[in-house]
Amino acid sequence: MSIDIKFIGKTYAAHTYEVGKEKIKEYAKAIKNPDPHYLDDAFAKKSKYGTIIAPPTFAVVFGAHLIEPVFTDKELNLNMVMLVHGEQELEFFEVVKAGDSITTTAKISDIKNKEKLDVISLELNSKNQHGKNVSRGTYTFVVRK
Amino acid sequence: MAVEKGQAFTGSEKVDKYRALYYAGASGDYNPIHIDPEFGKMVGLGGAILQGLCTLAFTAKTVTDWTGDPGRLKKIKCRFSAPVMMEDAISVQGTVTDVQAGRAKVELKVVNQTGAEVLQNVEAEVEA
Repeated sequence: MSIDIKFIGKTYAAHTYEVGKEKIKEYAKAIKNPDPHYLDDAFAKKSKYGTIIAPPTFAVVFGAHLIEPVFTDKELNLNMVMLVHGEQELEFFEVVKAGDSITTTAKISDIKNKEKLDVISLELNSKNQHGKNVSRGTYTFVVRK
Repeated sequence: MAVEKGQAFTGSEKVDKYRALYYAGASGDYNPIHIDPEFGKMVGLGGAILQGLCTLAFTAKTVTDWTGDPGRLKKIKCRFSAPVMMEDAISVQGTVTDVQAGRAKVELKVVNQTGAEVLQNVEAEVEA
C-alpha cells in the first residue's frame, strides 16, 4: 500500500536535546574522528570556540529523536521492513557546543508514490538555546512496495 | 587557508569489524541490519552493513580535516548507493568545483576497495 500524500506537511512535537561533552567524545570516537576540537579539552578551550564542539554530523544524533516518532507513527504506518535510507542532506549554521540545548522540530516535507516504491522526505530544523539555527536536515527514505 | 577552484584532497577509512556497533552505541541506530550479521544474511545483504550516516560522517571528516576548522563545513549531502560492509576500505576524494561569494562547492567521490561508489551525488559546501 502506498503512503498517503495527505501526510505531506504533517509536523511532529519538538524535542529538546542537551548536548553532553562526553557524548560528543563518544560520537567522535565512533566515527573515527580524533579532531582535537571534539576530544581535547585543553585544545578546545584555546580554540576560537572556547570549548568542546560537536562534529557537524552530530546533528543526526539529536535529529534521531525526531526520526523515531515518524517511524513509529501508527497513522503514517510505514513498512519498516522495506524501508531504507535513500538520501541525506545536512546544512550547518551555528556550531554546536558542549552544554548547548538544541530544540528540533520535524515535518514530512515530501511523499512520492512510484510504481515499485514510495519516497518520503522529512525536514528537521534545529535551534540552540539562543534561538539561533544550528542545522537543517533532510532525510529521505525509500519504502519498497 | 584560501580555497581555489580545482583544489583536491583525499581521505580514507578502514571499516573495522565492530565499527557498526560503536556507531550504533553513539548514534542510537541499532537496526539489526547493522549489528546482527545473521540478520543481515537473512535479508540478503550478505552480513551486517554499516550505517549510511557513518559513511557520511567519514566523508565529512575528510572535508573538515582539509579545512582544519569543522565550523567551515556548511552543507553536505549524498545518496546512499551501495552497502558498506565490515572490513571494507573507504576512499574519499574531494575537488573544489566552484568558489563564489565566500562559499566553495566541493564534489566528492566515495568508493570502497573495489572502486564501487558507496555514496553518490556527494556534495559539500565550505566557507572559502
